[in-house]
Amino acid sequence: MHIPDGFLDPKIATGLMGAAVAVLGYCLARVRAAVTALVPAQALATAGRGAQSIASGYRRVLTKLGEQKVYQMGMAAALVFAAQMFNFPIGGGTSGHLIGGVFAAVLLGPFAGTIVIAVVLIIQSLFFADGGLLALGANIINMAAIGSLACYYIYYYLKKVAPEWLAIAVAAWSSVVLASLACALQIGFSGTIGFGQVIPAMLRVHAVIGITEALITLAAVHLFRSMAKSE
Amino acid sequence: MKKLLLISLLLVVLAAFFASTHPDGLDKTAEKLGFAGKGTERHSLFTGYAVPFLPEGVISTALAGTAGVMIVAGLFFLSAKYLRG
Repeated sequence: MHIPDGFLDPKIATGLMGAAVAVLGYCLARVRAAVTALVPAQALATAGRGAQSIASGYRRVLTKLGEQKVYQMGMAAALVFAAQMFNFPIGGGTSGHLIGGVFAAVLLGPFAGTIVIAVVLIIQSLFFADGGLLALGANIINMAAIGSLACYYIYYYLKKVAPEWLAIAVAAWSSVVLASLACALQIGFSGTIGFGQVIPAMLRVHAVIGITEALITLAAVHLFRSMAKSE
Repeated sequence: MKKLLLISLLLVVLAAFFASTHPDGLDKTAEKLGFAGKGTERHSLFTGYAVPFLPEGVISTALAGTAGVMIVAGLFFLSAKYLRG
């Protein structure tokens, strides 16, 4: 669902880029706060680190758990990147691939998950010309902000009243369908094609792709959890 | 944990062999509704998930994918190093 440049009106694409920067900035701040702790510089100096900043009183340092989490984010990003290369046929000469937003958010939390997906999208756009450059903001909004951050809360609230596997499956399916709806709306608002044509066409095909997203997400969450536990 | 990185690389190789080459949901929709032509071609180092110095094929795709896995994972590993100070 990577929008190439040209499908979106530049004004809309630029606005979405601004929105993406805001969302990512917020997520980065939340992740940074979660993985670091404020430590008195005096303690750091006695530990032989950060001696130059004694005067500043406190310093932010990565906690042991935080470090583990950042490494896990790297692993999740690697898995999502690899999985996104794996297009599977869904019939009618069409293929789909994982987004991985719910996968990343369920394992790492909504803010870290959003960062993971965004990093994958940025690298795909910059190094692989997969997805536009100006359209990068739209892609981050669709697949990271909606597909990961927003759909995490579908999982979160559903988990309270339903078994976890069902919450994961519904959130994963919704992430693909909602991201495709957002994508269709952006293309429609850009005047590229009429809403009446693009919305049903996108929803129909992604309702099918969403089923595979749900199945793969269930399997991948299970795999990641059992692996992360083993070490 | 390191196993997950190996699984990613395995997945890249499998994708190089078996991934469908059909257009994805958005591309197909664009084709069907006739606005696919509005998309502008872009080029980058690994355009089309291929490395520039090899003929297109499984090896090229696997190498490009490996590079991608390394870059995304490496970014986080480097951030961990940077944040540790």
